[in-house]
Amino acid sequence: MSPRRTPLGRRLLWATSIATLVFLCAPIVIVVVVSFNASEFIQFPPQGWSLRWYRNYFGARQWLEPTLLSLRVALVTMVLASALGTAAAIGLTRGRFRGRRALELFFVSPMIVPTIVLAIGLYLLFARFRLVGQPVVLYLAHTVVAAPLVIVIVSAALRTTDSAIELAARSLGAGYFRTLWHVTLPAIRPAVISGAAFAFLVSFDEVVLAIFLGGPATTTLPKRMWESVRYEIDPTLTAISTLLVLIPIIALAGVEAVRRAGRGVAT
Amino acid sequence: MVATLAFFLAVYLYPLTRLVAWSFFSPGFTLQHYAKLFGEPAYFRAFRNTAEISVGVTLVSLVLGYPLAYLMTAVSPRVRALLVVLVLVPFWTSVLVRTFAWMIILGRRGLINQVLTHWGLIDRPLALIYNMLGVQIGMVHVLLPFMVFPLLSVMTRIDATLVAAARSLGASPRQAFLRVFLPLSLPGVSAGCVLVFLLAVGFYITPALLGGEGQVTFTTLIELVVRDLLDWSFGASLSVFLLTVVGTLFVLFSTLLGLDRLTGQGRA
Repeated sequence: MSPRRTPLGRRLLWATSIATLVFLCAPIVIVVVVSFNASEFIQFPPQGWSLRWYRNYFGARQWLEPTLLSLRVALVTMVLASALGTAAAIGLTRGRFRGRRALELFFVSPMIVPTIVLAIGLYLLFARFRLVGQPVVLYLAHTVVAAPLVIVIVSAALRTTDSAIELAARSLGAGYFRTLWHVTLPAIRPAVISGAAFAFLVSFDEVVLAIFLGGPATTTLPKRMWESVRYEIDPTLTAISTLLVLIPIIALAGVEAVRRAGRGVAT
Repeated sequence: MVATLAFFLAVYLYPLTRLVAWSFFSPGFTLQHYAKLFGEPAYFRAFRNTAEISVGVTLVSLVLGYPLAYLMTAVSPRVRALLVVLVLVPFWTSVLVRTFAWMIILGRRGLINQVLTHWGLIDRPLALIYNMLGVQIGMVHVLLPFMVFPLLSVMTRIDATLVAAARSLGASPRQAFLRVFLPLSLPGVSAGCVLVFLLAVGFYITPALLGGEGQVTFTTLIELVVRDLLDWSFGASLSVFLLTVVGTLFVLFSTLLGLDRLTGQGRA
């Protein structure tokens, strides 16, 4: 056992890990830097600096309208997915019934089912009702892919909270819904909030369902970006990408703050 | 929960069963779509591309993800939190944005080619996207966190005293790692590999943007059939086939490995 072996292995471990992290983060840093480029072409490093691509984005209806639609769809999805997901999580963790495990599997399976398959199936379904191209289609479709995330997060929280306090509330005369509202939900509030935040993100970034189910009147921001990336690379995309990079950072910081606050209350 | 179940049956299970129905009718009952799927070499090529990409992406993710997850368990909680954030932020950044970033980096007039030409290392731009390499780079970038998080969750539960015990009994660091830590981390390896593989098989955005004509995958084939050929019945049978493959593997592995490991730490 040579004394130098451990440090060498350690250094190798650090080197490969840092290389991997650079691989993960560099593309994002590069997009952010390039977005301040002054020239007509995407260059790295930029020859001059400007905010022209940001002005382009904020000055164009073709970008702002999809952004507003995306926000609307993401908000509706967030509400639907949190309500349905939390209800399912409570049923799955507190209920005792046959086939619970299979039902759990069914509820989380949209995370694994290829989105394009779901998109084709939903297209065939909604086309029959002449709904393709209506916002409601996106609300429903996005809820299917966002709710499993809420279920997973809230179920994990429910498993770690003590169900004895719920029994105590019930035995002291509180009804089922009163217990739910005053005991169960406050205990899992941080999880519900982070589930909702992630549901919002999933919907806001969702591309595949939007391109298959969206019509000309329901072009979400990712769908508009997709069209732009595929047919002409517009440097405005770098500015939008930079703004989109901020969203998960804000969301993660927010979720962390809620988690800390939740812990503070608990202790 | 009943409301959620009703919602899922209507907007999730029902469309998928409709898909199965579509794949067998044209308009009368027929197996012609499936015959076409297995008969034509062009479709077989899409199948082979998908398998090649998915296996490659899974292996590369494991090779990159294992040391990273291992390092995360070996550092102080503070440093670990920082490392986790450096994985989480890209993970939650839009897939479209990340794929677009790779187009800027790897494109013909992209960053790498600009730098290499500037330094005089190459005369002509290298072909880095619209080929297998580009697709795999982009997909590893998107799917790597799905490898790291299951690995991390299993590794943090490994009792550190076991490794210490092996060392005190005379095992070298390498032996202690290979004979104690590595076997205990295998559930994480299998969960991560299954997750990455399944997601890679059904992945659409990155192959569509970074792949060339030679990299038609199963998902881009579905898009082609449905949008350009407008052959919904055939598109439906392709979708059903893909769904069957992914579904079978998912059910198989989740019963073999335990559901919570596959999904519980997948994202949150």
